Amino acid sequence: MNVTEYIASGILESYVLGAVSDQERREVECLSSIYPEIRQELDHLSTALEQYAQAYSVEPPASVKENLLKQLDFEKPVVPAVVRPLPVDPWKNGSPTFRTTWLVAASVGILVLGFAFFLVSQLRTNQQTVASLRTANDSLKSEVQQLHTQQSLAEQSLALLSKPGMRAIELRGNDKAPSGRMLVFWNAKTREVAVEVQSLPPLRPDQQYQLWSLAGGQPIDAGVFEAGSTNLAIQRLNRTIDRADAFAVTVEKRGGSPTPTLSTLLAMSPVDA
Amino acid sequence: MKRQSSLVSESVLLEKLIRRDQQAFQWLYDQYSAALYGVVLRIVRDDEQAQDLLQDIFVKIWKNLDAYDATKGRLFTWMLNVSRNTAIDALRARKTQPSGAIRTDEESVHIVDRQHHTEQPNPDHIGVQEVVNRLRPDRKQLIDLVYFGGYTHEEAAEELNLPLGTVKTRIRAALQELKQLFKS
Repeated sequence: MNVTEYIASGILESYVLGAVSDQERREVECLSSIYPEIRQELDHLSTALEQYAQAYSVEPPASVKENLLKQLDFEKPVVPAVVRPLPVDPWKNGSPTFRTTWLVAASVGILVLGFAFFLVSQLRTNQQTVASLRTANDSLKSEVQQLHTQQSLAEQSLALLSKPGMRAIELRGNDKAPSGRMLVFWNAKTREVAVEVQSLPPLRPDQQYQLWSLAGGQPIDAGVFEAGSTNLAIQRLNRTIDRADAFAVTVEKRGGSPTPTLSTLLAMSPVDA
Repeated sequence: MKRQSSLVSESVLLEKLIRRDQQAFQWLYDQYSAALYGVVLRIVRDDEQAQDLLQDIFVKIWKNLDAYDATKGRLFTWMLNVSRNTAIDALRARKTQPSGAIRTDEESVHIVDRQHHTEQPNPDHIGVQEVVNRLRPDRKQLIDLVYFGGYTHEEAAEELNLPLGTVKTRIRAALQELKQLFKS
């Protein structure tokens, strides 16, 4: 086709003024993309008209700009409908992007490091907590064990003491054991006998205390017992006593003696005192 | 010429605008709002409506940036066309008689004079103004009728009592003259 003739036809002038039909518009746009001369002429006419329009410039009031800045949403990226090659920008080299990348990388690194430190300190705290909890658990366990033992002893004592006919006789130390103090429990019906040592002097390992019951002037072996090791607990003695006018305590060799050693008599008390 | 040298930066600007860069928008507004407002004001001749329309126009431009195709024409031209079409549509919606939208030459001169005195003079625009005033009045009238009034060739021919062929010839001559005037 004859490009010069087409340019001279006047359709380009009508096009830039917006006075063409849709069909003519598509025709101009199509041809201008094919023929550089047409495109060039269109650009010249557009530029001329732009300048003509600028001759009527009037500054709008500032409120329009303010409203627009409030109304429009900025920096939300939209996907462009037409993909265009990125323009080369001669005033900006790659360094800001480069710097940004490094800044981002550095901040991510610092964040990761910080998080790692946080985790390690958390781990350390947790380990300490576990250790102290384990110690507390152990001590609680042994305490419970102790309480358990004490409770069963107390239950035994209670069972023993709560039987009808049980009598308690208090024995006080003589001048050989001035602070000596103990209780003898005796049940004439069940013939059971037990002692509770409150305070007696400690003995050599080869010695033991021995309890005697006196009936009709005759001493009867009522069993041996320890002082101090099971303090405040009632020790049941492995003997049966059916008659007793009084009870006495002597120090004997370990295992007990058939007759009391009077020189080591520490305490004596009548039953019906 | 100023706008010629901005061809490279225009594609950069467009790229930033599509990324919704506020600075780019401000630059766009500062650069073109006066020209677009002038065009809208010339079409609707009502300050308040022109301000509303200018705001709508920039919203439209902002929302339809990805519809703009740089291979089909210049960005400013595209923006001018968006403004012109919006303003002409608003005018047609407001007035039933399109003939009322056309001002006479005397009015145009009066308004141009008034703008000259009241608005802050832009050195660029003063030069442009002198060039525009050298344009032959009958040609200028025709450009204004078609460009600012949205008249078709037929409507312009009827309005000016001219044969259709004369209108077409005169439009071409007017723009060629305009092109030559700005070239020199």
